[in-house]
Amino acid sequence: MTVFPASLRRSRSAGGGVGRANIWVYGLLTAFVLGSIFPFYWSFLVASRDSSMLTESIPPLVPGGNFFANAQQVFDQVEFWRALGNSVVVAGTVTISTVFFSTLAGFAFAKLRFRGRNALFVLVIATLAVPTQLGIIPLYMAMAEFGWANELQAVIVPNLVTAIGVFWMRQYTVEAVPYELIEAARMDGCSMIRVFWHVCLPAVRPAAAFLGMFTFMMSWNDFLWPLIALNAENPTVQVALEKLQSGYYVDYSLVLAGTTLATIPILVVFLVLGRQIVAGIMQGAVKG
Amino acid sequence: MSTELAAATGARQGDEPTGPGPVRSRSTWRDRLGRWDVKYSPYLYVAPFFVIFGIVGLFPLLYTAWVSLFDWDLIDDNPSFIGLENYAALFGDAQFWKTLVNTFSIFLLSSVPQVIMAVLLAALLNTRLRAPTGWRVGILMPYVASLVALGIIFANLFGPNYGLVNGILETVGLDRVDWQADRFASHVAIAIMVNWRWTGYNALIVLAAMQAIPKELHEAAVVDGAGPVRRFFSVTLPLLRPTLIFVVVTSTIGGLQIFTEPKLFDAMPGSNNGGSTNQFQTITLYMYQSAFEREDLGYASAVAWVLFLIIILVALVNFFLTRRIATTGEDRR
Amino acid sequence: MRHRRRHVLALTSILSAATLLAAACGGSGGPESSDGRIELTIGTFGEFGYEGLYAEYERLHPNITITPHKTGQGGPYHEALFTKLGAGSGLDDVMAVEEGHLSDVLAKSSRFHDLADLGPADVKPDRWLDWKYQAGLDKQGKLVGYGTDIGPLAMCYRKDLFQQAGLPTDPQEVKSLFESWDSYFEAGDRFVRESGGTAWFDSAAQLFNAMQNQLQTGFFDRSDTLVVESNPAIKQNWDKVTAAVERGQSAGLVAFSNEWNSGFKSSAFATKTCPSWMLGVIEEQAGPEHAGQWAVTDAFPGGGGNWGGSYLTVPTQSEHPEEAAALAAWLTAPEQQIKAFKAKGVFPSQVQALESPELLAATNDYFGGVKDGELFATQARKVGHAQYKGPGDGKIQENAVAPALQAVEQGASPDEGWRQFVDASAQIAR
Repeated sequence: MTVFPASLRRSRSAGGGVGRANIWVYGLLTAFVLGSIFPFYWSFLVASRDSSMLTESIPPLVPGGNFFANAQQVFDQVEFWRALGNSVVVAGTVTISTVFFSTLAGFAFAKLRFRGRNALFVLVIATLAVPTQLGIIPLYMAMAEFGWANELQAVIVPNLVTAIGVFWMRQYTVEAVPYELIEAARMDGCSMIRVFWHVCLPAVRPAAAFLGMFTFMMSWNDFLWPLIALNAENPTVQVALEKLQSGYYVDYSLVLAGTTLATIPILVVFLVLGRQIVAGIMQGAVKG
Repeated sequence: MSTELAAATGARQGDEPTGPGPVRSRSTWRDRLGRWDVKYSPYLYVAPFFVIFGIVGLFPLLYTAWVSLFDWDLIDDNPSFIGLENYAALFGDAQFWKTLVNTFSIFLLSSVPQVIMAVLLAALLNTRLRAPTGWRVGILMPYVASLVALGIIFANLFGPNYGLVNGILETVGLDRVDWQADRFASHVAIAIMVNWRWTGYNALIVLAAMQAIPKELHEAAVVDGAGPVRRFFSVTLPLLRPTLIFVVVTSTIGGLQIFTEPKLFDAMPGSNNGGSTNQFQTITLYMYQSAFEREDLGYASAVAWVLFLIIILVALVNFFLTRRIATTGEDRR
Repeated sequence: MRHRRRHVLALTSILSAATLLAAACGGSGGPESSDGRIELTIGTFGEFGYEGLYAEYERLHPNITITPHKTGQGGPYHEALFTKLGAGSGLDDVMAVEEGHLSDVLAKSSRFHDLADLGPADVKPDRWLDWKYQAGLDKQGKLVGYGTDIGPLAMCYRKDLFQQAGLPTDPQEVKSLFESWDSYFEAGDRFVRESGGTAWFDSAAQLFNAMQNQLQTGFFDRSDTLVVESNPAIKQNWDKVTAAVERGQSAGLVAFSNEWNSGFKSSAFATKTCPSWMLGVIEEQAGPEHAGQWAVTDAFPGGGGNWGGSYLTVPTQSEHPEEAAALAAWLTAPEQQIKAFKAKGVFPSQVQALESPELLAATNDYFGGVKDGELFATQARKVGHAQYKGPGDGKIQENAVAPALQAVEQGASPDEGWRQFVDASAQIAR
């Protein structure tokens, strides 16, 4: 990585922040985070008790002891592990592919000059504005035509790269990758793809990690399309868990036990990639 | 293209000083490759997106445009061509105008506070914190919560009879609010739901951009005697421009397509009505209802296209506004 | 940095290996496997009580393999059904259809097989209650679906609240209150007065729909003309219900909403129109603290009625329509529906099943040990006729009537509500 001039390497801020965090910062953030994790905690509360908690005027604030019993019921009623495997394959493939192709396209749109660049980029943004809800029927027709109905490809392929990902990586790359670096690398005789790999990719790692987190989560939680495109034999986690809501009344402690279990993999991915966001920023400091 | 790359590698190996051969021709070969590389590889890099877009975006878009010219039932063997009649009907449809107003009202109530809060939250997160990953994951949690849980929680909060918010209002001596029946109140409640779900996401986006700002710029501003507020406006904000454009454009598009929250908010489970008198039905809900409940696919497609054009228009306006607002510093292209 | 990258690489290769594996293993093959076995798929939602029956059918028919596709909620299930109907592929060989969506399916009856032709010859109309059978026919008399279960209507009421308001509480004595809709609303006035403002019923739409279903024709006549404004009976029902709302009889709780659930617990209303499956809902929502306070009686204002129940259909998309029809016929036979009743409590629609000792002996402890099987079998026979439901009938109930009545409950005048109802139904019928 000889292409990094020392001065530029050091210019990334160390310690991941500007200014010291005082008591006010911690106080405000704590308030935000409490508000953010409340529904999650609440789901866990219901999952650890029974549905009657929902109609109590003052709900209890400590978990009950039913979580494992409810979780066991989820495993009994739903092919959870198979669905989990499918979801890992789907969300994992979609995430890696989206991050890679979005970063690549974002780099091209941000830093390379080519004829039709602006027009193509406007087209990318315009795709965002297509209302997706109506696309279901033509999309299903297309998938059936390819013979992918009820196969995992039907939920993977349409999401291999997204407009929002390309847009985001382009916007980030514009500021994060200085032209000087690219030119220096070109002078060293790097091909375009090497410039991308050795110059652009390290600089946009935090943004790519964020895109990864977000894509994984979107894909993991996607419901309506997988429900239509896949069948109950070969479900993703969300499709499988939907079955818990059968019957004329819903046992919410069971449903929420299921959703709580399904959230754990997302948290793992978050913690891994969240660290990447921090690590990507720290990297320059450590080496510089 | 892959053969081109292989050739490039071969050429580079040929650069080894031990390799014989005329230096001159090698160098033009390399030059030509380099030119091709510069000229064509950008297209290769953006191609995957456009291939996928062709299948999942363009085909449905064109199909929808085609269908919108027909009196097309959801399940129809011979739809009849009616030209622009669906569009004409749309402009005379009171429900369409009502949903348009609802959409803009909810959009304004949600996206404006959301973007401001996201920037503030990002500024808080951009300080030197202990356990930074923990805080970040923390504020992204609303997006992880299941929609089932969300539906129940917000129904419990904003229930007109037994809801917590009304309970609190009553305790402090204020009037109860019918969050379902009152048009504006329902928009406020839905906007709260939207903001709760999306602020953390936008904050992390802004944060990622903030952290890419070289620290020296801040240090220089400190030396110049700028306080934190002034530093924020004259250093941070201008450098956030591309990201703010992203946030504003995407939240405009997302806001005008708002679907999940009003659907979840309706007391009638699974309903697309947006309340008893469509008081909080959005355009996408109306479109969805037209297609899958009224089975009028032609009409729904016309709604989809009009919505598409409205979004493009508003997104463009926002794009230029944001560009102007955030261009206080030097233009860094 | 280096070892971190290796982690990411390891993760990537695991994932891509998994993808390859999935691609290699994916696909259960064609519907007919090499050994001549036929694979039939069946799509259901909620609880049909069929789980144990599939294996039994496979034992009886060694050349058939059944793959059930079960969805939890009816909403997404029917959404997927209509999407795949529109796209022209992807439906199962046997598709369940809920009564509320039946009018939409009947309007598309060309996409479904006529089971009277295709099904086994020994399946006769008299297998079912007449109204259940008739409702599965399209306008030309084509049999689109075999009936599975039903939801005959009775009246549920709160004994303790009745007593406090000075109303009779014995299941026999309360029958006079529930004789006609007029007597029902009169009793409601008395109850609201005596109880100091507690509501008489949960939601106006629940009553209106029951009243509407008792009319000779639905929202459409046989030539599929909308009759909302031309049929005076519809307006009369509307006036009765909205007048009761104005007199404070409605709790204004939308059925199945969160607040409705809370309403059971906080004793917000005293009576509930009760299809057979509602007893379980009440027990779940009202909870143990109200055990023994709810009762049910075999009376229903204006005669009887039905809410809920399904049909099994065979779409023309099916590659094995005859085998599919045979499976549907077997599943909806009285013997099987009784097994489904025992498994999941789904109430059978077959005449013979309604006479089976297992059904007649069933009791419900939460409702004071009432013989609910017998009670609802009686109610099922009171449903007089199958009302003709034109295309969009179910949608008018759901998306025109229910919101308009909710608007009245939220303060709109009955006239405003009526206009809204008329406009919305015209839109749906368009």
